[in-house]
Amino acid sequence: MILSSVVIILGEVLEFTILTSIFLALSFHLKIPRRWIIYGVTFGCLGATSYALSFDMVSQWFEGFGQEVINATIQTSIYICLLLFCSIIFINRKNTVAVKYLKWLMIASVSLALTREGSEIFLYLSGVLASEQFVMPVLTGSALGAGIGLSFGILIYYIFINTPSRKSLLVGYALFIFISAGMLSQGVRLLIQIDWLPAQKVVWDTSSWLDESSVVGRLSYTILGYEATPTLIEIQFYITAIAGVIIATALSSYYANKTTSGN
Amino acid sequence: MLVKKALFITLLQLACTKAVFSETQKITIEIKNHLFYPSEVIVPAEKKIKLIIDNQDKTPEEFESYELNREKVILGKRKGIVFIGPLDPGEYPFFGEFHPETALGKIIVHQEKP
Repeated sequence: MILSSVVIILGEVLEFTILTSIFLALSFHLKIPRRWIIYGVTFGCLGATSYALSFDMVSQWFEGFGQEVINATIQTSIYICLLLFCSIIFINRKNTVAVKYLKWLMIASVSLALTREGSEIFLYLSGVLASEQFVMPVLTGSALGAGIGLSFGILIYYIFINTPSRKSLLVGYALFIFISAGMLSQGVRLLIQIDWLPAQKVVWDTSSWLDESSVVGRLSYTILGYEATPTLIEIQFYITAIAGVIIATALSSYYANKTTSGN
Repeated sequence: MLVKKALFITLLQLACTKAVFSETQKITIEIKNHLFYPSEVIVPAEKKIKLIIDNQDKTPEEFESYELNREKVILGKRKGIVFIGPLDPGEYPFFGEFHPETALGKIIVHQEKP
């Protein structure tokens, strides 16, 4: 009982802690005050609580597919936030206006991630508390899971902090490309589940090589969007997502340079 | 140009799936006392299946499967629909993420006789 609650809570908090720790470290390197995190967490907690409390109603939207539609919308929104964040991160130093946008994009990404993952934790814990069985082991396990997730985030944060700024920005940028593509593929998978996007045959199966349920598999899923058995449409969206971020970055640098040289 | 082509392929794929929609088979799986009934479901290969998960417990459950790439939270005393397939013959385990010690099951995909 303890172990399974460690696993479930860790799985839920990992995405949020990784995202947040990279954002906080990049804020340090970009000299952006890190107060935005207070807003991100506050909005996220409010979002998670209201989503969980209205979950019954939301689930019934779209002929019983409300949960998938809302979650896919959240994942796509995080993708768009990360795309915009990545596209202006390098022009930031030349353009002070970008700092304001970066701050709001970080708040939006963090609060959206917390809304989705926090609501699941809320539903899980409310179920356990209502059944009045195994309450203590579940709470202990959950605290352990959250602790491990948080420690992992702190570890990432300090690795980034102790890396030179330029290198940190590049590594953060590269990680965000994969994290954002993973977010979009998660959304696509939810739409396949409700038959809004076509269900297709699996293109390859790497589960014998790296099992998605293993620790490394879960981490790769969160950071790289790893999927052992993807279908063609998931691969198409994954590649399009990566290309989207790179093109957006190229376009924004091009226009930023043009404006600077124009002045 | 590439975007247009990708969009066209995606739309074509959508059109193809709608055509076979009518033959979707429905299967109900119940959740009682954090157990799946039936815990083994036999389905034909290469067919799309509509799984109706009927949670008769008071507490929420999350239907999850790494092999099927599916996850859905179903509140207590509620039903949830999840589409699966077309699948190759084989076994595809699923579990209740909120009660993974007991809520275990698998989809067994059989090759249809010609």
